[in-house]
Amino acid sequence: MTVTAASSTVALDPRRNVPGTRPGFSSTLHSEWIKFWSVRSTTWSAVMLFVLGAGLTALICATNAEWLASSEADESPGSFITFGMTFAQITAVVLGTLTVTAEYGTGMIRATLAATPRRGSVLLAKALVLSGTLFVLGTVTAFAGYFAGNWFLDREGVGLALTDDGVLRSMVGSGLYMAGLGLFAAAVGILVRHTAAALSAVLALVFVVGNMAFLLPGAWGEWTAKLMPGNAGSPIAAPVSFNPELMAPWPGFAVFAAEVLALLAVAWVVFARRDA
Amino acid sequence: MCRAPARREASGHDSSDSPDRGAAMIDVARLTKQYGAKTAVDGVSFTVAPGRVTGFLGPNGAGKSTTMRMVLGLDRPTAGSVTVNGRAYRDSPAPLREVGALLEARALHPGRSARDHLRWLAASNRIPVARVDEVLGLVGLEAVAGTRVGKFSLGMGQRLGIAVALLGDPPVVVLDEPVNGLDPEGIRWVRTLARRLAAEGRTVFVSSHLMSEMALTADHLVVIGRGRILADCSMPDFIAEHAASFVRVRTQGGQVADVLRGAGADVTPVDGELHVQGLDAAAVGELVGDKGLYLHELTLVRSSLEDAFMTLTASSVEYTARDGAELAGATR
Ligand SMILES: Nc1ncnc2c1ncn2[C@@H]1O[C@H](COP(=O)(O)OP(=O)(O)OP(=O)(O)O)[C@@H](O)[C@H]1O
Ligand SMILES: [Mg+2]
Repeated sequence: MTVTAASSTVALDPRRNVPGTRPGFSSTLHSEWIKFWSVRSTTWSAVMLFVLGAGLTALICATNAEWLASSEADESPGSFITFGMTFAQITAVVLGTLTVTAEYGTGMIRATLAATPRRGSVLLAKALVLSGTLFVLGTVTAFAGYFAGNWFLDREGVGLALTDDGVLRSMVGSGLYMAGLGLFAAAVGILVRHTAAALSAVLALVFVVGNMAFLLPGAWGEWTAKLMPGNAGSPIAAPVSFNPELMAPWPGFAVFAAEVLALLAVAWVVFARRDA
Repeated sequence: MCRAPARREASGHDSSDSPDRGAAMIDVARLTKQYGAKTAVDGVSFTVAPGRVTGFLGPNGAGKSTTMRMVLGLDRPTAGSVTVNGRAYRDSPAPLREVGALLEARALHPGRSARDHLRWLAASNRIPVARVDEVLGLVGLEAVAGTRVGKFSLGMGQRLGIAVALLGDPPVVVLDEPVNGLDPEGIRWVRTLARRLAAEGRTVFVSSHLMSEMALTADHLVVIGRGRILADCSMPDFIAEHAASFVRVRTQGGQVADVLRGAGADVTPVDGELHVQGLDAAAVGELVGDKGLYLHELTLVRSSLEDAFMTLTASSVEYTARDGAELAGATR
């Protein structure tokens, strides 16, 4: 078919396809959901999270049950029943980082923002998909770890009932802390935009710097350590913390949540103004 | 008129010379973008009208992609404004249904399949899923719809990018270097597609740094160099104005030049040859023969559009170089 300029007299209504009202937030959410689950790294991270979280909890309970039941034990079984979640948290950080930095690394963020110019909606949809998934996954994994690990503890007579103090809270708390960590990592991802940089920054801050902060001297140092995101947020994910210096579960989590929200707010301001 | 339009004065957006708002079009007004100290786009104004292919031509780093990113609301202009169909891109309720774009970078996640890539885009603008398979067929990727994009060749990636642009059946199509990485077959395909989209009444805005490609595709040309508009005119006008021809003459001594000048020709010596304008080859031969002089060569040379484009963009470089010299002179 040969087309010449002479035929270019067709008048096209420029808005013939455009609906009168915006497709709405649910479309953005649906879009982000498809995006999230259509790459293998998501499935792999989810599997890793479950295997590490439930598997390592079962393993540590199996190997320590006898000692915990003995008179030498100076730790509580409550510190062991969500033990694997500490490692699963790394995958939550990876997942949170990748949902953002993979888009910057490939330039896909431009396709995203061309499709949905309302950047706040994009950020909110990403946050909901990520945190929702991590909450469910974290909670399910914590329960799986509880049932597997407790089977070994029960055999030595040091098992925990779900109704015991802090057990149910630590299951749901594992989900909450996972979701928070993922959001924290995503916010850093938006600010830094590079996978390796964002990932190492978050992992270092949460898992290394947080522990080292306890070496700081004086009351000032002690509070700095207590308020570090990893230290403030983690007690909610265990019936009994290994570290007695940490804040109580709910106050600690409130501090952590405030830190995550503050970082997300900064990320949102930057994201809304920056060139894509 | 092939001259760069005079810069509109900063007295607000002059809409009186902007064509009908009812038509699909891109309207760029005094657009400027600075990245730090670097001015990538410098006070650019032009409109892209429906029903024709508008070529956006310029050498590397001229500011084409930057301008297109500002059209799509991705980069924030330092000054000036750009509207699509009479409003800012960001204000469109469903931009993919109004403007389809192929961006410079491939903008694809290597781990996602072509169909999934189109699916998330479709979902964001409530485009029916059936359209995904439709555009995959349109660009000839239906057989690899489920393949991860990371395994695609450059050309396949480019085809997917074009599928993205067509997803919302948009009346405005923006393509940043669509033929990049395509084989001759693919290049011809893009050309035919662009012309067909324009014939359907769409507004088609295509960037390239290849004049020869634009000559075959575009009806209208906007030439940019160093962030400034160098020409904004129809393709035939551009050709008439820039694709000059001259007669090349080789000879010994200066007599021939004098004879030709005597006959009213414009003679320029270049590397031992003479470039003659204002006389055709036959007239040159006859004039010289009448005087009993000899020629070693007599050739009609048509400068290609590529040359015209080079000359045009080179002059923008010269212009800034001369600026620099004047500046140096002034400070002495
Ligand atoms: N994000 C950015 N930060 C800093 N400088 C930039 C940025 N984007 C573009 N530039 C600069 O602006 C100028 C114009 O770049 P642009 O990519 O728009 O040119 P182009 O005409 O698309 O060139 P090409 O034909 O190479 O694609 C270049 O000098 C480039 O280095
Ligand atoms: Mg470019």
